[in-house]
Amino acid sequence: MSEGADHFAVFGLPRKLWIEMSALEQKFLQLSWKLHPDNFVNATEEERELSLKRSSELNDAYRTLRDPVARLEYLLALEGERKEGEKKQQAPPELLEEVFELNESLDELREAKSAGGDLAALKTRLASAEKNFGAKLAEVDGELQAVAKNWDAAIDANANDAARKKLMARMNELLNRRSYIRNLVANVQKELL
Amino acid sequence: MGRIVGIDLGTTNSLVAYIDAQTSQPKCIPGPYGSTLCPSVVSVDPDGSVIVGEPARKRLLTQSDRTIYSVKRLMGRGPADVQDELKLFPFRIDPGSKNVIRVQLGDRVFTPPEISAFILRELKNWAESFLHEPVDRAVITVPAYFNDAQRQATKDAGKLAGLEVLRLVNEPTAAALAYGLHEKQRGRVAVYDLGGGTFDISILKLISTAEGDIYQVLSTNGDTHLGGDDIDNLLQAFAHEQILQQHGLDFAARGELAQNLRKALIDLKHQLSQSESVTLRFPLPGGAVYVNEFTRGEFEALIRPVVDRTMGPVKRALADAQLKPEEMEEVVLVGGATRTPLVRRMVQEYFDRKPHTELNPDEVVALGAAVQANILERGVTNMLLLDVTPLSLGIETYGGAVAKVIPRNSTIPASAQELYTTGVDNQTGIDIHVLQGERELAKDCRSLARFTLKVPPAPAGLPRIEVKFLIDANGILQVAAKDLRSGEQRSIEVQPSYGISDSEIERMLEESIEHAEQDFAERQLIEARTESEAILGATAKALSNAPRDVSTAERAKIDSAVAALKSAAAGTDYKLVRKKIDELNAATQHLAELVMNSAISTALEGRKVAEV
Repeated sequence: MSEGADHFAVFGLPRKLWIEMSALEQKFLQLSWKLHPDNFVNATEEERELSLKRSSELNDAYRTLRDPVARLEYLLALEGERKEGEKKQQAPPELLEEVFELNESLDELREAKSAGGDLAALKTRLASAEKNFGAKLAEVDGELQAVAKNWDAAIDANANDAARKKLMARMNELLNRRSYIRNLVANVQKELL
Repeated sequence: MGRIVGIDLGTTNSLVAYIDAQTSQPKCIPGPYGSTLCPSVVSVDPDGSVIVGEPARKRLLTQSDRTIYSVKRLMGRGPADVQDELKLFPFRIDPGSKNVIRVQLGDRVFTPPEISAFILRELKNWAESFLHEPVDRAVITVPAYFNDAQRQATKDAGKLAGLEVLRLVNEPTAAALAYGLHEKQRGRVAVYDLGGGTFDISILKLISTAEGDIYQVLSTNGDTHLGGDDIDNLLQAFAHEQILQQHGLDFAARGELAQNLRKALIDLKHQLSQSESVTLRFPLPGGAVYVNEFTRGEFEALIRPVVDRTMGPVKRALADAQLKPEEMEEVVLVGGATRTPLVRRMVQEYFDRKPHTELNPDEVVALGAAVQANILERGVTNMLLLDVTPLSLGIETYGGAVAKVIPRNSTIPASAQELYTTGVDNQTGIDIHVLQGERELAKDCRSLARFTLKVPPAPAGLPRIEVKFLIDANGILQVAAKDLRSGEQRSIEVQPSYGISDSEIERMLEESIEHAEQDFAERQLIEARTESEAILGATAKALSNAPRDVSTAERAKIDSAVAALKSAAAGTDYKLVRKKIDELNAATQHLAELVMNSAISTALEGRKVAEV
């Protein structure tokens, strides 16, 4: 990150993961009135440039902070701790078997599609796999919420570096897992269209 | 600094609007024929002069190879993009460069922005004639779903027309502004805009805060290749087929005849909005007549596919806004094609509420543009527009995939940063390919531009260049690069994938100054002189008919005003001429009444007024 305020600073917020949504929206609208380029059309070149910069910062910050997952990813990146899985395509170990089955089903469906075969049974199987992984996604989101709460508590308690690093490692793990499952679900949905 | 106006540069018709100082309400400006609509048609006469609007429209029928309509469909596109449509355009596309379309009209060749510039210039003239002031700044509307190249082409057109384009505003948002002002709405609004060539659906939230009203776009979607023209094309294809079957005549190749038929079909289409059936009788060469009774039912069945195509974007826009159709508190219809009963029914059914049609669907976008112009002028400070970019911005990565850096429906201005380095020792340039679209592969997205970052020679992996992608309030991309090690701005070469380069625009601007249109003052003088001739003629005639009823004193005043006007009209000060016209009008008011009364009494006596 080079210059400019970070997303939390734009809203005058501490680097904590719980944000009250309607207050965030109010602040966003308030700042928009002040910063929007429409206010500066007849101003100097400098003021126009500054307005463009600050209003894009505001919009970028709002876009990121509104989404709980994006917010978390951003916080990690800010702390310099965002580590995507070394092998992004690697399945979390406990899911290996199910992922294997799913990929098999997807291959079968693709073959059947090109051979013009009967897709109904395959589609039903995939639809239920989609549901299954959808539930796992919800689980991960729940765990992310929990670790977010822990983070905020740690900040409030002025926890030391080691404790914070531990929490961030957990966040990374969950984010990578979430990303993996989301891709799986997206692939299934594509084939089921 | 001259006046600022709002302009709707439409596929079928273009309009210009201003804010009436007395009422603070937007109003459309009429042209020389009294209509506020300027057909988006441009024709080039054999002597090279350019005709725009209503007079050009007539030439569609008589000189179709030197007349162009719906140029908006060609803006920001390459020749490969419009191959399908070429069949239905009688004018020729020059097989020139691969990324800019060049249209041949008579002996001259133009790019779409140049043609649009003729239309903009015509509207500029309308505004200046009406307001008696120079007009050199404008807010111009574009379809919300227009991509970067299409927006840039519109800005280029404005520049070529001598207008500083202060903002490009999305058409549905402009319509929402006009309705918001008119109706004082709040809440969630869907704007369904089906124009001549483009379709947009925008979902907005109208919020009241202490500072005023915010028009926040939540999502937008559309099809820049779908509109009333497609309905006309279907009708035309249907008629061509029938004529081939029934009379063995192939209309596809017959430029002017086909245009005549198209015009007749368009008129028929309008009539079918009012009547259940209309019979067409079209004379064919050789004496035969093509006769067909078109019922509304058959027409609706024929055009159904076009209307159905609008529902895909509607559903996607709602999904992106995370809203259901029944959650919309208001629905607004914009664009001439929404007069079609089938369209109104479908929209009403889908949203389960009656859509707003109070404002003229042809004028509402221009009115909204004028409102936005007023906001930019700070004539109004209690309205704020928060619009979005319609397409995701992405960068091509290894293997031809696309990494999205700014997602679609992000509020603009919006930005994203990416860090770049070199892969090879002493590499002096880093290539970046920027695209717009939602697909995963670069080849399926719209190429926006290629940028080359200049890097000083260094070992591979050492340079750290941060590139900032910024989509401005017009929805147009700006790119800046900074060397993180030195802190310096780095220079970037931009090759837009579609459109005219900056140097070519400059050349066009220079050329247009040479073939200069008369400037504002000259035109005002010509107009004022024309008016003075008319009033001097009328005064002389009135005096010769009613000499006895005019007192000596009055006559002296009139004579003196006449002399003053004649003297002013021989000069070059148009303001003085206007002043003397007003003075002569005042001096001849009584005379005018006399002439009027005399005409009335003569008419009552049964004699013709012309004999007076």
